[in-house]
Parts: sequence; structure tokens; C-alpha cells
Amino acid sequence: MEGSYLPSGRTAGLPGRPSESTNLADILERVLDKGIVIAGDIQINLLDIELLTIKLRLLIASVDRAREMGINWWETDPSLQAMERDEDGDRDQLERENRELRERLERLEQRIGLERGSEEREGEPREEREGPPTPGHAQEREGPPTAGQAQDRERPPTPGQTEDREGPPTPGQPQDREESSRGG
Amino acid sequence: MADELERWAAQRAPDLLARAEAAAVEELKRALVEAALAGEARVAGPAEGRRDEARPAATRPRPAPEEARPAPASPPAPEEAAPQTGDGVWAYCVTRASDPPAIAGVHGAPLERLEEDGLAVLVSRVPLSEFSEDALRRNLNDLGWLERVARGHENVLEHALEGGTIVPLRICTIFADEDGAARMLAEQRSAFETALDVLNGREEWGVKLTVDRAALEAAARERAPEAFDEELEGRSAGGAYMLRRRQERQLREAADRLAGGLAEDVHARLQDWATDAVVNRPQNPELSGHEGEMLLNAAYLVETGKVERLHELVEELRERHSELGAQLELTGPWPPYNFVPRTESALA
Repeated sequence: MEGSYLPSGRTAGLPGRPSESTNLADILERVLDKGIVIAGDIQINLLDIELLTIKLRLLIASVDRAREMGINWWETDPSLQAMERDEDGDRDQLERENRELRERLERLEQRIGLERGSEEREGEPREEREGPPTPGHAQEREGPPTAGQAQDRERPPTPGQTEDREGPPTPGQPQDREESSRGG
Repeated sequence: MADELERWAAQRAPDLLARAEAAAVEELKRALVEAALAGEARVAGPAEGRRDEARPAATRPRPAPEEARPAPASPPAPEEAAPQTGDGVWAYCVTRASDPPAIAGVHGAPLERLEEDGLAVLVSRVPLSEFSEDALRRNLNDLGWLERVARGHENVLEHALEGGTIVPLRICTIFADEDGAARMLAEQRSAFETALDVLNGREEWGVKLTVDRAALEAAARERAPEAFDEELEGRSAGGAYMLRRRQERQLREAADRLAGGLAEDVHARLQDWATDAVVNRPQNPELSGHEGEMLLNAAYLVETGKVERLHELVEELRERHSELGAQLELTGPWPPYNFVPRTESALA
């Protein structure tokens, strides 16, 4: 029983025997997001904590990846959705940027394809673009390239954004992060 | 002429695409970093300003309700810069267990147990110089500080868990003094009792599923070789290029479907069987250090008597999906963070 505590081949320490090697991500996702929130006398605005978690999440490359793969349970989890709403600002912006970039890439691909396609009678490039092998799946990922998207395309490149960007960059940040990954 | 053009296009296409892709990736990276920095700046900015410009009164981190400060900016308000002194009381969890673990809390002070009629809250003193509202706002965004405090909190909870069922509080639940913590306990008593009843005899376990992309794609290819081995021969260079791109995309999608099915299968099996389940987001590899792609990050509430079976079940799933390069990690028992009401109001 004792032995089965440790998942095979992982360095993760285990709760029950606290140790420095317990995965920091495991701990942070719990202590920052979970547990009962009681209003204490020190009123620390949870937004400040959430700001930090937003930052942590921004670095979670795998979230977008997972969503792409159609893994998105957390989006249907009401408790998580509540948090998502807090992050909407950042998330929306990122998603929009992401989508715009993808569209730009697609248009580039298309242009290249079309130039070539007009020369080539087989019409393969069109097939490549328009023949979704799994319609259901593609839909799940991004939604069909419909009116909604076209609308997005017309939108000027995120006006609200510049405001955010003007904030002074804080050189301390990368350093901090490094420190923490070292410090165990 | 047409030939020339085609050859030219075929030659240029991969290069152009690669460049476009690289540019897109760069832009995304930059956007992510900037968004993160902007978030930090919003918090760190004012604190920074206060230090540099020695203009304390003008630089509250947020436009506070008491905005109208009569003093003009020039004469520095003397009390503003002084860090708060004295202690606050940090609360960890609520329990019915009798003895507090004989360990130190998040800042080295010993753990105390404040009891009222069989129900107790575990607390320890923390210096306000580090845990006042202003200080916390700063410190919480310092990952090194946060890690120490988070581990300290977790450490206490894990020890407390050995003594019996607990209701974990979120970090930074701090009271002015012991009386404040005791009052909270009394006010929320029935809610804590209910939560303790639900959690009694149950344990939180974490399961994470990661896969190796290459193994996944190899498996996808093996399952439908005909889809990915279409003849490249006899096509023009451009045609072959486009076909190859299409095949790559299809392979990626097939691998995605495999991954999705895999995660669903694992979660469905465990969920069916657990008392309760919560699915969380995949973790940041930079923090967790995991390799591959995390497909599932979930917590399950399990009857203590069924924990052994949980280990077997995970082992079975591990074997069943080993050919896909799936890694299943089981950790626990955790303090039941994932299975308590989230807010005070939800308690009542």
C-alpha cells in the first residue's frame, strides 16, 4: 500500500508525506483556486491572487492545445466558468489574436494555393483547404468559417490592446520565474 | 510559361509558409508575454512608483473609495511608508480532531488550535510586515514567496489530514487576532459541520494523464495506414507538397481524436466509480515539469475503503493505454481542496 502511493516514474512527492518535491503546480492549483474562501480581517482582494493565476495560466501552453484537441471539460464546469469570466478580458484578447493569426496564415496559404491552383487543372489546393476530413471535429475546434469569423476579420486590430501594452515591462519577472523553478 | 510559374510557386511555397508560420508563432509568443507583463505591471507598478518617486499619498495601487485625500502631493505623509507591525492570525483548516500537529505554520510560528465545542480551526501567527494587505498584494505576485507560503499551508493541511477529516481554507485567510478566527468558526459552524460530514471517510486523489505526441501519431498512422500513405509519386512538386501537408494535418487530427478518446475513457472509468470528480485545467509544464501533453488533470473523491481499488484501476488503465504512450500519474491523499464549497455564501 505504501509503495503504491508513488506513481510510477514520477518525482512527485506525495501528500501525506509532505516534501519539497511535491509538484508545485499541484499545490498552487489547489491553494490558489480551491478551498473555502472565508472573509478574514485582512481583506486581500482575491483579484490580486487571481491576477497571478491568470499569469500562470497564460503560460499554460497546453490549455489552448487541449482545447484544440477538443478537451474542454473545464468549460462546462460551472465553478471553473465563474473563474473564466474573470479572465475574459485577457482570454478574449488572446483568443482573438490567435484566431486572427490563424486566419492570416490561412489567407497566405490560400493565396499561394490559388496562384498555383489557377495554373494547375487538378484543383488539389482547393481540396486541401475545403475538404475537411472530419466535419464534426473541425466544427468542434473552431466553428465553421462562417459569418461570425468574417466579422472578426473586419474588426480593427484590437484597439484596447495598446493600452495594456503601454504598462512598463517589469524586468523582474523572468528572473522570478527562474528562481522559483530552481528553488524547491 | 505555365510550367515556369508552377515551378516557381512550388519552390516558393514551403519557404513562404514557413516564414508566415514563424511570424505567427513569434507574434503569439509576444502577445502572451505582453499580456502577462501587463498583468504584472498593474500590480507591481504602483508599488514600484512609490519607492522610486517617494510620493506615497498619490500612488495607491487602486483608486480606493477614500479617494479624496486633501493633502497635496508635495509634503510626504510620514505614516504611509512605515510597514505595518504586529501579527495577524493565519487560518488553515477546520477539523474535529483533537490534537494539532506539532509543526510550524507558514511563517515559522507554531500551530495553534482554537476550539469551540468540539470544532476547531488551526491557526498560526504571521507578521503583518509581510502579510498586511499591501504586503500581500506585492508578495503574492512573487512566485518564490508564493511557493514558500503555499508549501507551508499545504504542509500544515497534510499533517492535519493525518489526524482526521479537514475542511481546507484558501490561502491568505487572515484575521486580526485569535478572537477574529474564533468568531468566524462560530458564525460558520453549521456549514463547516455539513462539509465535514460530507468529507468524512473520503479522500481526494489526483489523476493526471499525459501522452507523448510522437507515440500518438505513430499509433494513429498504424491504425489507418492507407490514409497517410497516398502516393506522392507522379505528382508535380507543388502537388506533392500540398498532399504532404494535407496528410500531416490529417495525421495530427487523427492523433487528436485518439487523445480525446483516451482522456474520456480514463475520466469516465474513474468518475463512474468515485464519489465525486472535478476536472481541472491541464497544468503549465513550466511549473509542473511534465513532459508530453497533459490530456487530463482531475481530482476524485474516493471512499477510504476503496482507495486500494483506485490504485488497481489506475494500473489497469495504464496497461490498457500503454501502447499510446500514455502516462497516468496518481497522487494523494490530498487535503480535499477540490470538494469543499468555494465560497462563504455557498457554505450557507
